[in-house]
Formats: sequence, C-alpha cells, structure tokens
Amino acid sequence: MKLFTRYNRINLLSTVIIFLLASGAFYFLLKYVLISQVDEDLKIEQHEIEIYSGKYTKLPEALPVKDQKISFVPINSAKSKRTFSTVKGAEKGEREEEAFRQVVFSIKVNDQWYEITVAKSLEGTDDMMRSIIVIRVLTILLILITSFIINRILLTRLWQPFYHTLGITQAFKLGQKQLATFPATKIDEFAVMNNTLEQFINKAENDYQLLKEFTENASHELQTPLAVIRSKLDLLVQDENLSEEQSKAVQAANDSLQKLSRLNQSLLLLSKIENRQFSETSQIQFKSLVEEKLDQFRELWLDKGITTSVSLENVNITMNLELAEILLNNLFSNATRHTGNNSTIRVSLTNLQFVISNPAMFGTLDNNRLFNRFYKAGKSSDNNGLGLSIVQKIATVSGYFVQYRFINNQHEFSFLFS
Amino acid sequence: MKVLIIEDEKNLSESICSYLNNESFTCETAFDFPGAMEKISLYEYACVILDISLPGGSGLDILKELKANKKAEGVLIISAKNSLDDKILGLNTGADDYLTKPFHLAELSARVAAIIRRKSFEGKNNIQLDEMIIDLMEKTVRVNNAIIDVTKKEYDLLLYFISNKNKVISKGAIAEHLWGDNMDLADNYDFIYTHIKNLRKKLIQSGCPDYIKSVYGMGYKFSVA
Repeated sequence: MKLFTRYNRINLLSTVIIFLLASGAFYFLLKYVLISQVDEDLKIEQHEIEIYSGKYTKLPEALPVKDQKISFVPINSAKSKRTFSTVKGAEKGEREEEAFRQVVFSIKVNDQWYEITVAKSLEGTDDMMRSIIVIRVLTILLILITSFIINRILLTRLWQPFYHTLGITQAFKLGQKQLATFPATKIDEFAVMNNTLEQFINKAENDYQLLKEFTENASHELQTPLAVIRSKLDLLVQDENLSEEQSKAVQAANDSLQKLSRLNQSLLLLSKIENRQFSETSQIQFKSLVEEKLDQFRELWLDKGITTSVSLENVNITMNLELAEILLNNLFSNATRHTGNNSTIRVSLTNLQFVISNPAMFGTLDNNRLFNRFYKAGKSSDNNGLGLSIVQKIATVSGYFVQYRFINNQHEFSFLFS
Repeated sequence: MKVLIIEDEKNLSESICSYLNNESFTCETAFDFPGAMEKISLYEYACVILDISLPGGSGLDILKELKANKKAEGVLIISAKNSLDDKILGLNTGADDYLTKPFHLAELSARVAAIIRRKSFEGKNNIQLDEMIIDLMEKTVRVNNAIIDVTKKEYDLLLYFISNKNKVISKGAIAEHLWGDNMDLADNYDFIYTHIKNLRKKLIQSGCPDYIKSVYGMGYKFSVA
C-alpha cells in the first residue's frame, strides 16, 4: 500500500466519522432550537387567548390562519397542566398529512372549562431543516474533495525528495565505480536521510572497490612468484640424479602449484569480469562454438568412455567471444568432472537456451550455494570451486541467465538467452 | 644463436637462462629498462624474451624501439597480465608471441624455437633429426623418406618434444600445450598418455629409435643422443 493511500484512508475515514457525528449532533440541536422557537410562539398564542378570554369573558373566534389550527372543546374539569406535543394531521382544505406542534391547555370561561388546542404547522421548520442539512452535506462533500486534492498535491510535493532518493537508491548498482549523489533538500528529515544514505552507499562502494582491487592486485602479484616456483621445479626435474622419493616430492609440488596457479587465474578472471574488462561484444554463432568445444572434449570423453547426445540449432547470440569460450569450457569441464565413466552427456542448443546435462554421481547440488565461490559438492579437491561462479558472472555481465536443475538424477545446467 | 631475456625477477630470468642454454642457444639477461635498451642497441639477438612491467619503463617501449630500428629479432612477451587486450596490444606492437606467467619452461622453449624458425627461414624450413624430417609447411613427418601418418595432436606433441630435446617435460606442461590452460582438468592427465603411446608406437614402427622415455611418472623425456 502506498504511503499516500494509507494516509488518505485514515484521513478520509476519520474526517467522515467526525462529520457524521457532528452532523447528527447538529441535526438534533437544530431541531431542538427550532421546536423551542415554535413552542415559544405557541405560548404567546396561549397567552393571547388567556388575555382575550379574561378581558371579554368569551373565547376568541378561531380565525383560520395559515399553518395554524385552534380548537376549543368544552370539558368538565380542568386539566392539570398544559402539554406540548408533535402530532400528525392535515390542514384544513389540504389532504396531505404534515407535522404539527401543538399545545393543549385549559381555561375557564363563564364557569365552563374548555380544552384549547393550538397547533402550528412544522412545515416551514422542516423545510428549513432540510435545506440546512442539504447545504451541510454538500459542504462536507466539498471539504472532503478539496482536502483529498490538496493532500494529494501537497503530499506528492512534500514527498518528492523521498521518491527521488528512492529512485536513485534503486538504480544504484554496487561495483560500477560511481558514487551516489542525492539532490539537496530543505526538509531536515530528508536531508539527514540522504546524507546517511550517501555515506552508506559510498562507503559500501569504496569497500567493494578496495576488495576488488585487492583480489586483482593479490592475484597479479602472485603470478611472478608462481612463475619462479614453476620454473625452478621445471629445472629440478631435469636433474638425472633425483631419487624416486625426490621425484615424487617434486611431482606433488608441481601438482599443487598447478592448482594454485589455476585458482589464481580463476580469481583474476573473476575480478576482470567484475571490472567489465570484457565489454566488447559481437554476434557469435553459438552452434559452431559449441561444436568446436565438443571436438576438443570428445577426446577426453573417449578416454572415460563417455558418450554424447547432441542436438544443436543455429543460434546467433550477442556476447563477448572470449567469455563465451570460457563459459563453454567451464560447463563442459564441469560436466566431465562430475560424470562417471561410460555415461552420457547431453548437449542441446535452441533459440531459447543452451543446456548441458550429465548423470549425477552423488545426488543433487545445493542450488542456493552452487554458484558461490569455493562451493564444492562433496569433498572433491580436484577443482577450486570457482568454475560455476565464473559461469554465473559471465551470464550476468552478458545479460543472460544461468540455471541449475536436478532432473531424473541428472545435473542440468541451462544458459538462457532471454 | 643468442637470446636476450629482459625480466626483472632475477630468479625467473636465471631459470629461463639455464633451461635454454644448450648447444644451440646462449642467453644474455637484462633486469631493467635502461639495461635492456643498452643491450638491444649494441647486439643482435635471435629472440628477445620480454617482460612488460620493468623497473624504469615499459617493455612495450622496448618493443617499439626494436621495431623502429627494424631489428630482425623475434620477440616473445612474457607477462603477468593475462588479458586479451594486453595480448592484442603486444602483438599489434610487433611481438611474435605472448606467454602468460606462470608458464612452463618447456612451453617457453617451444615458443622461442618456433619464433626463431619463423624468423630465420620464414617457416619454410624442415626440422631434421637423425633419419626423421619434419616439414613445417606441410606438417608432415617422414622417417627414411616414408611419411608417417600422425594426428594433429601427435604432430604438435612431436614438435614440442623436439623443441625440448633431452629435457624432462611434466605431464601438466604437455597437457597445457596440447589443450591450452582453459581445460581446467587439473590432476587428470590420463588422456595425454594415449597420445604419447600412439606417437611412440608410430615412431618405433617406422624405424626410429625409442626417443620417448617415461620419467618416474613425473613426465616424459625425448632423448636424443
């Protein structure tokens, strides 16, 4: 729910409730006041009749006055008190029933008690009430609409800096070497927020850059010592006087060095991809690239008795050629490494995706951590756990998507082109 | 033939030198930019092995200097930077080849040999070894004038061995040479065994001596008397 909607809902609801309560109170108050007014008039009428009858010792003539009825009824004894009441009745010569306010009292004229009823029509009062209430309701509606519009404009304008900030924050991507700058605002709260966010984001970006530089520099600096070690080992094995024990030690050192330099290269590659050093893209005939890789790997598969099931369509995609090669290399290497002897690797390429699948040896992989750096299924130490991480990075920078599924005891990696 | 090694890491320079120094090569070394500039202005080399980042200047400037003076030297760049852009920049500036650290000395030696062959005879020459003749243009191998039918991998392997005669080459170096370092299949070099076995069989069948020796499971050696 939007802030504005939420605010409006509360605001409108409370306004309506207050107006309803106030209107109710107003209605009753108004009615009370008007009725009292009529009652006053009736009292004056009564007073006039009493004066008249006291002066002339006879009842006045009941002259027909509009909106007023007077009746005299002889009675035996005096009624104790005068009473006011509201009744319904028709005026003389009219059919419609309407409300009357009447007073009933008794007076004695020539030793005869009369009950006198004076009634005044409430039509005028009702009309007045009605128009007042109509005006009242219209006013309420008008006020509601105006407040809605004013609130809308005001709130939107007031919150403008907030939405602006939100937009900048959303658009911000870590690792783009750009700093976040927020527009100046006169509202203190927003200024504090912007300031805090700015510091926060720029610190994160800075740290990120430092970390990236660190990885890159560390990897770079490692290359030369690695080259020295490798060259020394290469020289060492030339020595014909090496014992078998020594040879084994050299061989073990060589293997570990191989892993180390591969790890280092992978880290370097990752940071290069992150630094967008492979931004140059071209149209790639993906099919022929896949076929090329298949040819390279077939030899290895032959050795392990691995067969392939291949179906390829002609597909052109836009990405960096070097990255595409690395991607295929990693996916093929991965499938090769995690497939038992004499199994089948399936490769398919359609307009939508490139899919490679191989029979699993140890069940499914953890989809949440699969693409993390140094994730290793099981305890295999043959690989450095960076291959899939690189695959995912390549997919991301190329604007594509990579996905893992475990179906029918098969690991399936899809590279989605859309 | 003289080879100049321009590399500031003395240990590495030393290794390269002692690996390459044999009957056909003599090595000289330079450790910084001014030293290298002085050497290339004074002497002629068959090949220059050039590191890009040097104290006192960039290896690329040395390369430019060599090209400006129309020196015939072949240039092999060795760099810690493994990036296509650097590679392209280096090659466009006039280098003959580009090798990323860390490399195997066998690989370096093979690349240097290839560069020198290309420079000296424009690639039209043959390599002769006892009764074996390798035609580099046609990519054929003859023993006693009979062509041996070798696959592309076996041909590459043979050339690699010949560039590293009497040297023990580790399996890792062979795998990297044949498949590139992208294969990412560390620890499993079984697949190179098939190629070596086949090549060896073909050579012996055609009447060559048994050149290829296995060394303690560490690697292989192409022994020539």
